[in-house]
Amino acid sequence: MVITRLIRNLVASTAVLATLATSSRAADERDYYRLVSIITSKAPTGSRAKFWKPPPKDLVLEVSGMAVLDDKRLAVTIRKGEVWFLGGVYDDPPGSLTYKRFAHALHEPLGLLKHGDGFYTAQRTELTKLRDIDGDDVADEYLSIANGWGVTGNYHEYAYGPKLGRDGNLWLTLNIGMGFKGDQRTRMVRNKGLGVAQARWRGWGVKITPQGKLIPVCAGMRSPSGLGANRAGDMFYTDQQGNWVGTNSLHHMRSGAFFHHPEALASMDLPGSPLRNITEIPNGLPFPEAARRLPALKPPAVWFPYKKVGQSATDIVLDNSRGRFGPFDGQLFVGEFTLASISRVFLEKIDGQYQGACFPFREGMASAVIRLAQGTDGSLFAGLSNRGWSSLGTASYGLQRLVWSGKMPFEIKELRARPDGFELVLTKPVDSSTAADTSSFAVNSYTYTYHATYGSNEILKKDLVIQSATVSADGYRIRLKIDGLRQMYVHEIHAPGLRSRDGLPLLHPAGYYTLNRIPRAR
Amino acid sequence: MIFPRCTWNHPILKPGFLRLLPVVIAFTLSLPQPLRAVEIPYPFVSGFERFVRPGDLSIERGGRLLIGELGCGACHLSRPGQSAPKPGPRLDAAGRRLQHRWLARYLADPAATDPGTTMPDVLHGLKANEKVPTIEALVAFLSTRREAFPPLKSTASKPIAPRFWDKGDRERGRVLFHQVGCVACHEPASDYRTTPKPASELEKLLRQLDPEELKELGLDAAARPFASVPHGDLPAKFPREALAHFLLNPESVRPAGRMPSLKLDPAESADLVAYLRPASPSPAAPAPPARELVERGRGLFVSLQCANCHSGGVGIKATRFARRFEQLNPKAIGSCLGNPSDRQPRYRIDKFQRKALTAAMLKPALPVAVSLEQDFLTMNCYACHVRNRKGGVGPRRRVYFETAGHVDLGDEGRLPPPLDGVGRKLKTGWLSKVLDGTGDVRPYMLARMPRFPAHTGVAIPKKLLSADRKTVTTVAGIFGNLKNLPAAGRTLTDRGCVQCHPIRGERLPGVVGIDLAGTTERIQPDWMREFLFDPAGRKTRTRMPTFFPKGKSNSPDVLQGNVDRQLAALWAYMADIGRQPLPEKIVRNRVDNYELVPKKRPLLLRTFMQQVGQHAIAVGFPEKIHFAFDARGGTIVQAWRGRFLDAHATWFNRFIPPAAPLGVDIIGLPGGLIVSPLQNGGDPWPTADAPATLYRFRGFRLDKAGVPTFLYSVGDLQIQDRLEPQRNRGLRRRLTITTAAAADPDRPTAWVRAHLGKTLKPRGRREYVNEAGLAVSIPGDLTGAARLLNDKQQSEWRIPLVITRSKTLEIVYRW
Repeated sequence: MVITRLIRNLVASTAVLATLATSSRAADERDYYRLVSIITSKAPTGSRAKFWKPPPKDLVLEVSGMAVLDDKRLAVTIRKGEVWFLGGVYDDPPGSLTYKRFAHALHEPLGLLKHGDGFYTAQRTELTKLRDIDGDDVADEYLSIANGWGVTGNYHEYAYGPKLGRDGNLWLTLNIGMGFKGDQRTRMVRNKGLGVAQARWRGWGVKITPQGKLIPVCAGMRSPSGLGANRAGDMFYTDQQGNWVGTNSLHHMRSGAFFHHPEALASMDLPGSPLRNITEIPNGLPFPEAARRLPALKPPAVWFPYKKVGQSATDIVLDNSRGRFGPFDGQLFVGEFTLASISRVFLEKIDGQYQGACFPFREGMASAVIRLAQGTDGSLFAGLSNRGWSSLGTASYGLQRLVWSGKMPFEIKELRARPDGFELVLTKPVDSSTAADTSSFAVNSYTYTYHATYGSNEILKKDLVIQSATVSADGYRIRLKIDGLRQMYVHEIHAPGLRSRDGLPLLHPAGYYTLNRIPRAR
Repeated sequence: MIFPRCTWNHPILKPGFLRLLPVVIAFTLSLPQPLRAVEIPYPFVSGFERFVRPGDLSIERGGRLLIGELGCGACHLSRPGQSAPKPGPRLDAAGRRLQHRWLARYLADPAATDPGTTMPDVLHGLKANEKVPTIEALVAFLSTRREAFPPLKSTASKPIAPRFWDKGDRERGRVLFHQVGCVACHEPASDYRTTPKPASELEKLLRQLDPEELKELGLDAAARPFASVPHGDLPAKFPREALAHFLLNPESVRPAGRMPSLKLDPAESADLVAYLRPASPSPAAPAPPARELVERGRGLFVSLQCANCHSGGVGIKATRFARRFEQLNPKAIGSCLGNPSDRQPRYRIDKFQRKALTAAMLKPALPVAVSLEQDFLTMNCYACHVRNRKGGVGPRRRVYFETAGHVDLGDEGRLPPPLDGVGRKLKTGWLSKVLDGTGDVRPYMLARMPRFPAHTGVAIPKKLLSADRKTVTTVAGIFGNLKNLPAAGRTLTDRGCVQCHPIRGERLPGVVGIDLAGTTERIQPDWMREFLFDPAGRKTRTRMPTFFPKGKSNSPDVLQGNVDRQLAALWAYMADIGRQPLPEKIVRNRVDNYELVPKKRPLLLRTFMQQVGQHAIAVGFPEKIHFAFDARGGTIVQAWRGRFLDAHATWFNRFIPPAAPLGVDIIGLPGGLIVSPLQNGGDPWPTADAPATLYRFRGFRLDKAGVPTFLYSVGDLQIQDRLEPQRNRGLRRRLTITTAAAADPDRPTAWVRAHLGKTLKPRGRREYVNEAGLAVSIPGDLTGAARLLNDKQQSEWRIPLVITRSKTLEIVYRW
């Protein structure tokens, strides 16, 4: 009867309300990671407007690269082509910023690295070293360290970086061109067999040796707007969903790897290419099947399931703070453009190859997060600009800082593959009754279609049965035994019923593991 | 007496319930309170409350309004001309949209649950033991109405946060509620503070007068506050997701359009949700109801005539109607108007409403102007707009209407425009766009013109046209021949209009007025002419000044000061504004922002240039002589005089079109490398496609004065290449060539190709001029060894250099 049901609902809701009264505020990212707006544009501008203009008299802080200088100053590149030294960036609340222009007349620089006696930035056409010779904090020397990649004039031919890898090599990624017009096509190289054309080394990751030699490393990138090294010094890059790219992804850059976008193979036969003899690209197959047919095709270390963990991955930064940024020391944080947020990545090596899991981390930035850098105090600087695309948020560009409050969030810190399931490592001890209850969890797996079409649905989706959940004595680890793990599939592990010992649900109740390899039982 | 009819085994009276009663009451009290509980015991119809009750409109007119708004015609079919019944909310998605608990309460007593509702109580005649199962069946049926919310696709250009309805910000929502126009109809929060604004002349006047004086001046209506449209208990009624979707597109739920769309984006809608419906748990959806019960509810939905007003999904159709409207007897003892029988709906109308309805019934159809007024009343256009001294935002709500950035534009900048004579002023096509929500021209006004349902966009403009426009005019009839006039129009626009109006998005600093682009598509030529000639005469209290004081132009130098021709010229310029150059002041302002004008030091821009390519480095000098270097080819490609470059495209255009020299006397400099090692002086000069091993760009250095010296290598020659203006006429190029290799005094280390052309003609001893007019001179001590090479295609002037360690030479370009 309606009324009895009404009453039942009322009573149930009262109970829910009582629970939420203690927990709903706690279940908020803001309580653990606080956002400090250092500078944001006064008003959002239609980011795709044909005659895009910043507010008048504004320093157009479309932060496209960042280098931490010391515990007061940060150097940033801005997209219109300048480098600025910003002082007072750690003030909390933000006090008076100081500005000093270090360099100008750069062509859309998309990275900044302080290294040796200068600053390095990738412009559209070259890797440039900027040096102040006379000590007035203004660059006098703009040295061209490396070039040699093709530039047709297409707007999408961005060059990102550099980031410092092992052995002092500087790494760059080169966006492919899209929507060529007019005479741009005359500046391409072609691979007739595959029927692909792009400018030289477009869609490639390259490294520049300290001697300035450009070494092409790996190919098949679509829109590799962020790269970064992990603690071991291995270099990774993110790619963005699009044609041939089912969803956003994180890849380990290593010699001879081909990731997905075939147009990069236009440069396959150029001198210096570590790739050879790819004669056919499978189109329209599930990714695991495509990878079997084409051994050069390497799966990403992590897929970011679309919208669940971002919609357009950007920069990569290592949490190298030894705990000053919370419990995630050694993990990677990844910027997110469209949703103006930051995601988190845990990586492990199985059979010598990287794979791992991603998690949502913090949303609510003022604009698209295109650059990340860790400050001397462990906090994360987020460089913002959404021009050309669009993002959530209230601004067109700016600089914000994410500070750990010191309060421990209840999160899945690590999600590790096991021969028969997964191990969850939590940031806080769990409540054993919820942790040992298999109904606290839900697991499914799926993959993507490798095809020339834009993006992919999650395909071949399957719900998996959890056989058991076992909690470690200290309460920090849970072993899930799961039937039917599938190699090369994304495994989503949800833990909505899990509670910490102090009664909290997970701040982000799911992790997304890219199971390229199932570890062998020892 | 109801109580004795109750059976004691009714669940509501079971001991279990009684035990829970305190919990229920406590819970109810703990629910967030609506912004302000407005107790309205009778159906609330804005136009009726505002204009009929106080006596501004006749009681008969009021009755006619109620006939439509209370939906009489939904059951009492009538001839066309009678007020069309307002359709009720669509219930196709009621199962998703409404909280079941609220729905049950609402059905049990609509007016008490949602004060001011126009829905009658159709269950009042049921006995208590019938009523509960009836409600249960209706709720069960409605809970199966689960049409999906309109899909919202999150795209790269319009991203939407996942679960956007939960991501709102309460404070932003509060500001939106009070800024974008919600409070034109709904009640503002008593603690919301707006920015103080200077009182307008009218406000001052209203404050000074006493009620009698106001009445005498016909201003009593303008001075009178009016009641707010209640919106009930939103947290109890809606889940957050449903409210967010409703605010995004009210028409999808309420086709009548009485609540128009304020053109929110999903994030804004979420902000409003956060404000209007703070987070509180929505009860879990009850288990799916029994099929039998649903079927019963479906039957009741039709038999109780719910379907006459509400769409209930596919296959649900009204089948039962009451007596035709024309046959109704307003004096009947029992009817919808009062003392309804058990089977008639019970409206909670008050005495006055009853009187109005009675007066209006059985009256003939209305003339157009009156029916236009009826449209204004039903759609509540009067909430914002004044027309014929009726309506407007009223004295209490004026403060919530603000100008973006608090720029002082007076009331014109913040209040919705009056609509007197608007059918004569605006073209009907444009009026339709305005009603359709796509005709926004006042970016400075924070209140938004809502989007109304499509049918209003057709009907209202037509009625406005026929009410306001007496004569049909043509542009030629008003302005005569417009040929050759735009240039003069541009001058006049530059003198006046640009001080307040942007044009095609370009503006002088601080200017926020209506963009003049599109004016002639919006406004009728005769009105525009009158307005330009005498702004205040057409629009009371406008900020627009006159440019024709006492009927004479204040620009007597333009078109001989002929007022008619000047007015025509302004129209001609605006009509062709997409193709005409921008007014000079705006052009100059653009220059100030994005044109690179070297003042004291040289300026550099790395960019794409059509002639120079993708690796261009342009260098501009205060002496107004500039050049562009191709870093890929190692070539100074071109030079020019006058203005340098506009950087807007390079800095901010997504598609980075190439930058082009803005100046004059653009000249191509000799192509290719300027220096090369050659085996023999007559060897072919290395082409641009020479192996990358030959040439390598190494960057540049800026000296104290900011002049760049380009660094590159050709073979094992290291080159420093520096150009500077030469006496404001040409460029002086200083090349320093360094080599590590040991020099052989009998063999040149390097050759310099100083000049190039189809033909080279000597001018004096040290200079050659090519067919393009470029003169190149070299130092006198090198002329002896220099060689002129001629072949069919071109001539080259080459100089051998013997370099021991380093050699510097200067070349001068003049053109």
